[in-house]
Amino acid sequence: MLLNKESSGSRWRIRPDGQDKVSGKLQYLTDMAAEGMLTGRVLRAQQAHARILSICTEAALAVPGVHAVITHEDVPGLNGFGIALPHQPVFCYDRVRYTGDAIAAVAAENDAIAEYALSLIQVEYEPLPLLEDAEEAMKPEAILLHEEGNVLHHTEYRRGDPDEAFGACAHVVEETYFTPRQMHTYMETEGGLFIPESNGRLTVYSATQHGLMDRRQLSRILALPEEDIRVVSSPIGGSFGGKDELNVQPYGALLALRTRRPVRLHNSRYESVRAGLKRHPMKITMKTGCDSEGQIVAHRVRIISDTGAYATLGAEVLNFATEHVIGPYRIPHVEVEGFAVYTNNGVSGEFRGFGGNQAIFALEGQVDRLAQQLGLDPWELRRRNLRQYGDPGPLGQPIAQTHGAVQVWEALKASPLLRAAEDGGCEGEGSDSQPEGQLPPWIVTGTGAALAMHGAGLGYGIPDPAGGRLSLALDGKIEAVFGYEEFGQGLIATMEQMLVEQFGFAGDDLRIIIGDTDVVPDSGSSTASRSTSMMWMALQRLRPEFTAQLLETAAATTGEPAGELKLGCGGVWKGCSLLISYAQLARGLKEPLVCETKFQYPTTPLQRVGAHFLYTYSAIAVRVELNLLTGRVRITDQYHAVAAGPVANPQGYLGQIEGGSSMAVGFTLSEDAVMTGGAYVTKNMDTYLVPTLIDMNGRIQVEAIEDLPEHDTYGPRGIGEIGSVHLAPAVAAAIFQAVRKRVNKLPVEPELLQETFFTTQKAVGSYAG
Amino acid sequence: MPDNFRLEEMGEMAGADIPAGPLYTLNCTVNGRALSLEVPPGRRLLSILREDLELTGTKRSCEIGRCGACMVLVDGRPVNACLTMAYQCGGAEITTIEGLGEAGLHPVQRAFLEEGGFQCGYCTPGMVISVVGLLRENPSPAQEDIEEALSGNICRCTGYGGIMRAVNKAIESGVSP
Repeated sequence: MLLNKESSGSRWRIRPDGQDKVSGKLQYLTDMAAEGMLTGRVLRAQQAHARILSICTEAALAVPGVHAVITHEDVPGLNGFGIALPHQPVFCYDRVRYTGDAIAAVAAENDAIAEYALSLIQVEYEPLPLLEDAEEAMKPEAILLHEEGNVLHHTEYRRGDPDEAFGACAHVVEETYFTPRQMHTYMETEGGLFIPESNGRLTVYSATQHGLMDRRQLSRILALPEEDIRVVSSPIGGSFGGKDELNVQPYGALLALRTRRPVRLHNSRYESVRAGLKRHPMKITMKTGCDSEGQIVAHRVRIISDTGAYATLGAEVLNFATEHVIGPYRIPHVEVEGFAVYTNNGVSGEFRGFGGNQAIFALEGQVDRLAQQLGLDPWELRRRNLRQYGDPGPLGQPIAQTHGAVQVWEALKASPLLRAAEDGGCEGEGSDSQPEGQLPPWIVTGTGAALAMHGAGLGYGIPDPAGGRLSLALDGKIEAVFGYEEFGQGLIATMEQMLVEQFGFAGDDLRIIIGDTDVVPDSGSSTASRSTSMMWMALQRLRPEFTAQLLETAAATTGEPAGELKLGCGGVWKGCSLLISYAQLARGLKEPLVCETKFQYPTTPLQRVGAHFLYTYSAIAVRVELNLLTGRVRITDQYHAVAAGPVANPQGYLGQIEGGSSMAVGFTLSEDAVMTGGAYVTKNMDTYLVPTLIDMNGRIQVEAIEDLPEHDTYGPRGIGEIGSVHLAPAVAAAIFQAVRKRVNKLPVEPELLQETFFTTQKAVGSYAG
Repeated sequence: MPDNFRLEEMGEMAGADIPAGPLYTLNCTVNGRALSLEVPPGRRLLSILREDLELTGTKRSCEIGRCGACMVLVDGRPVNACLTMAYQCGGAEITTIEGLGEAGLHPVQRAFLEEGGFQCGYCTPGMVISVVGLLRENPSPAQEDIEEALSGNICRCTGYGGIMRAVNKAIESGVSP
C-alpha cells in the first residue's frame, strides 16, 4: 500500500501534541524559567589536545553577579560520564582531548555576566601532539589518548575461508569508501532547567533519550542516591541519537546544587557543534568476489571508525557496522575486522542508523560494482544473492524470520521508477521530473537502487528492558505510563493510536505519561528503533488483564454480566449503549486499577554482543538530475519499499521515512562537519548544510509492506532509522548510470561531477538562444 | 564590562546581544498589545520576546539568521528575530506565533496540524510564520515562490513532505490575509 493521508483514511489522526506545537504553546525544556533562576555556562577547552598546567578561577568568581565557578574540584562523585564507559571527564583537570572538553562552569545573574566570567578563567596549557587521523592514531608510536590504548574497540567476524575463496572467484572488486562526520543538527540545542528542591532533591528538566540512564549517570557524578534525582526529559526539539548521552546535565546539576538556585543552560549553536556528538566518519575497505554466475562467494571488510576523544557508544556503533557490512546477502566466506579509534576529533557517537548508514553505503557499492563487471543488472545480482526466509542473520545468528528481504526486492522491481529505468525512458504520470527531451544539455539523469536490512533493539548481551503500565486513575482517565521520550518521532501519537485501536478507547479517555523518572517504569531507552515495537508488545501483554479488570469492575458496579460488556469510547458498553463511563467507574475505586508488565527486548540466542534479532527491510530507488556545470545532484524521485510489519501510525510512519530520507540526502550530498587541527571549521548552519525545502522538492513515495508470517508475535518493527540508511548507495548508483563515475566518498563532491567542456563548446549560449 | 572584552572567535559571536549603553524606549505593538519597554538599543528582538516578554513560541536555534526558528512578522513581513534589534522595531507591529489566530488556530496552523507538517515542532512556529507571511503577499504562490519563501526555514525532522502538504492545503483553503 502506498502510504499517504488518503490511503490511511480514518487511521490518519491528528497528533495529540500537535495543537500545542502549531500554536507555539508547547513549552520545551529550554523554554522553562523559574523564580530566581541563574544562567549557567561552560568553559570549553581552547586546545584540542594539551596538558592542563593550571586553572585559575579567582577573577571570574570576583565578578559581581557571579554566584559560582566550579571545576573538577567541585565534583562530589565520579568525575566522568559515558553510557557504556564513564570516562569522559565532567571537568578536565590534567588534560584535554578535544575542543568540546569542559574545564569549568559558571552560574551568574545573566548570560552576559556568565560569558564575561568565562573569559576571566585562566587556563595554562602545554600542547600535546594532535591525533587527527584514526590510522595515524593506531600506529605504535602514536601518543596514547587513553591509558588502555588508542583502540576503543576491535571487532572480528569470520566464516569459511575467504583467502581460498577469492582465488576461485571469476570477478573481484576492491574499493575503499569514506563517509562524513555528519551532525544531528536537532533544531533545539542542548539545555534545560535544574532545580534544587527544598526537600534536598534535584529536578532535572533536560532532554535525553533515556531518563533513567541520565538519572543513574547523574547519581554517580553528584554522589546522590538515584531516588533523590528526578529527570523530566520531554518534550524535545529533535535528537536523532544526539541527546542520548549526557551533555549539559552534569553542569546544570552541579551548579544548581552549589548555588541552591535554579540554573538554566541552553547551548548556543556553536557550543552544540563543538561539544556534541557526530556520526562516526568511517573508512571502509572491501574486497568482494563472485563466481561467473553472479553468486557472491567471498567478502572481506576492514572498518576504521574515527570515534573521537571519548567512548560513549563508539564500540556499539562499530559492532553494528560489523554486522551490517555483511547485510542481507548469502555469502559463504566472510572476514570482517573493525577498529573504533580514539582521535582528537570531537566525539562520535549514537546517530540514527547507528553505523548502518556507513556500512550499507559500502556494501551496496560493492554489489553495484560487481554487477558492472558481470555485465548484469544490479537488481538481478541482488536477487541472486538475497537472503531467504529461514536464513540466519548476517552474523550467522538465529533471527525472527520474515520474507522482508524478498518482499522489498519485489516491490521495488515492480515500482514505476525501476520499470521506467528498464524501459530506458523517464517516468510518466505524476513524476516531478521533466521529460528527458526538455532538459538543458548540461542536465543528465540516472536511476539507482539499494537494499538494506537494519537491526533494531540494542542486541545480544546488552540490558534492553521493556515494559509499561496501564491504569484507571481515580479521576476516570485511562493512564498509560511508559519510560520513553518524545523528541518528535510521534511516540505519544503512536501510543494513543494503539490504545484507541486495540482497546476501543477515545483519545479523550487517555492520559499518556512519559519522560518523568519519578513516575515511569523502566521501559528501556527511546533508541534503536525499539519503542514502537516495545509499546506494542507491552500492550499485547497488558490487554487481556487490563480489559478483564475494567469489565469485572463494571460488572460488579452495575450488576450486568461481564461477559456481555466491552470497552469503548468514554466507558464500558453493553451492546450499543454506554453502560458506565470511566469516570463513574473510577468513583467506586479506593485505589487506581493498575496493570504493569516487564519484559526484555527479544534477542538472538547466539552469544555475540550486539547481534540483532528483529530487522526491518527496505529497498529504495531514486532518480537524480545531475548538473554537469555545477556538479550538483538533485533527487527528483524516491521510492521506498519498507517491510516492517503492521503500520502502527500512518502519519508517523510516513514522516519517519520522509524525514529519514532527508537526513540521508544531507549525508549523501551536503553535510560534513569539517575539522582541521582538531577544531570545527563548520561552526553553524551557514556552512553546515542541512537540506532545505529546495533540496527536498522531489517526489517521495513510501510503500508499506505489512505482511508478517502467521506465527510472528513481534508485531510492528521499528521504522525510525530505515528511511535514512540506504539512500546514499542508491544515489551513487544513479550517478553512475548518468555519468559512469563511481562515488566512493560522501558527501559527493561537485568537483567529481563537474564537466568543463560545455563552456568551451558555448553550449550555454546556444541553449539560451 | 571592559571595552577590551572580546569573544575569542567570530563563530562565538552568534547570539550575543550588543552590550548595554544608554537605554532605548521601544514603543511597539506585540500581538496587538501596545508596549513600552526600556531596553538597550542593540538588544535582539529574540531576547526581548523570549526573556523579557516570556513569549517562548519564538525559538532560539542558529542565531545567525539561517534556520528560521525565530521568524516573526514585523509589519506583516517575516523577519528573523535573532537579527533584529530593539532600535529597528520602533513603531512596528510585531506578530509572533502566539498572536496568530485570534479565536483558535489560524488556517495555516490548522493545515500544519491536519497534514502532519511537523514532528518535534521546534521549527514549526517559524515555519508557520513564514507561510503566513508568504500567503499575505501572494495567496496563490507557485511552487518556486513557496521554495523561495521557505528557503530560510530549516526543518530537520519531516523532510518537508508534510510541510509542503500543509502549505498546499492552506493555499487551497484560501487563507485570508
